[in-house]
Amino acid sequence: MIKSFFLGDKEIRLPVIQGGMGVGISLSGLASAVANEGGVGVISSAGIGLLYKQSPADYLRDSIWGLKEELRKTRKLTKGIIGVNIMVALSNFADMVRTSIAEKADVIFSGAGLPLDLPSYLTSESKTLLVPIVSSARAAKIICQKWQANYNYLPDALVVEGPKAGGHLGFKTEQLEDENYSLEKLIPEVVSVASAYSHEKAIPVIAAGGITTGEDILRIMKLGAAGVQIGSLFVPTYECDASQLFKQSYVSSSQKDTMIIQSPVGMPGRALDSNFIQSVSEGKQRPKGCPFHCIKTCDYTKSPYCIIMALYNAAKGNMDKGYAFAGANAYLAEKISTVKEVVQKLKEEFSIAHNRLLAKRI
Amino acid sequence: MSDVAAKVKAIIVDKLGVDESEVTNEASFTNDLGADSLDTVELIMEFEKEFDLAIPDDQAEKISTVGEAIAHIEEAVK
Repeated sequence: MIKSFFLGDKEIRLPVIQGGMGVGISLSGLASAVANEGGVGVISSAGIGLLYKQSPADYLRDSIWGLKEELRKTRKLTKGIIGVNIMVALSNFADMVRTSIAEKADVIFSGAGLPLDLPSYLTSESKTLLVPIVSSARAAKIICQKWQANYNYLPDALVVEGPKAGGHLGFKTEQLEDENYSLEKLIPEVVSVASAYSHEKAIPVIAAGGITTGEDILRIMKLGAAGVQIGSLFVPTYECDASQLFKQSYVSSSQKDTMIIQSPVGMPGRALDSNFIQSVSEGKQRPKGCPFHCIKTCDYTKSPYCIIMALYNAAKGNMDKGYAFAGANAYLAEKISTVKEVVQKLKEEFSIAHNRLLAKRI
Repeated sequence: MSDVAAKVKAIIVDKLGVDESEVTNEASFTNDLGADSLDTVELIMEFEKEFDLAIPDDQAEKISTVGEAIAHIEEAVK
């Protein structure tokens, strides 16, 4: 049995957080399915306004409405624990945080930048837990210090995302292959930052990036993590909110298709190679305008392509006009299955690895 | 050079591992001195500690050069 852990006062029976995946990959369908298995289901708020376009379109208003709708749908499908992933880089970060808190999301996960002012949005009656996503012990330490000094609040957990994750990565490109930045190195460092506060608050550390098997989970937990965050493994599932073609791109990919691209967000990202990415490198996808201004730091006149449209198109199965973000091990996917089957497999692999370890000790 | 300016520059040299000659008033932390987003936040935290003051995040965001940091701190410790 994989050991449960507590996130605030909530027991997470299956210590698996489903990683937030945008645009439109993890919504109510996937989030509720993972929550029903005892994990934490996570809705991605990135670009959600595009999926809930009203007439006339107003990206900011549509985003708030979209997030409310997805939270409401998720609640109908599960009594489990539901989070929202909100990237700091989003222009409507404050809107998404306020909406999540007002709609009583259980947890907010926030990365792609330092969520330094996140606790400022809490209200006296809110119970939403706040979990930063970091890629270094340094970032974890800064967030803990600033939150405590400015808001007298400490993170309810820390997600540490290593260089094998999919999507935006909190590393410089040259660090991605450097062993000094591996997840195995990062976990004990972040655990030690969290432990420094153990007399004030228990801050569980959740590890992410490239985790594929139950054996991985056991190994990660032995390094001090209380749980794991898994994204790519949940993409080729019936419940995942992406289109069939998007899921199929995971199943049919091989290791050589996995590549690092430069995102307009200003960070490297891991994705599956596509014709679109090739045409970006030839300068053929330059945006002509910017109707949303979705990313704080994105200047469309300097961006090689519009990332929100590329990710939205891919989610909808229009793979020629976009690309799929994916973790370093996403290519291992062999078929589309149910979330239940994915979780069952993880549990079995964990048990086998655990028993093997016990046998060795005897 | 004022006391504040000298201390600020010393902190920058120490934190960012840059040469003193590079730390001019016009130098931008990110563009000229190679600081990443974590470095800039840590620098501000270091200034707060050294000068025993609090720099709110909205003001900290406006400090992007060595000169701006010195000006802000000189004003605050007056």
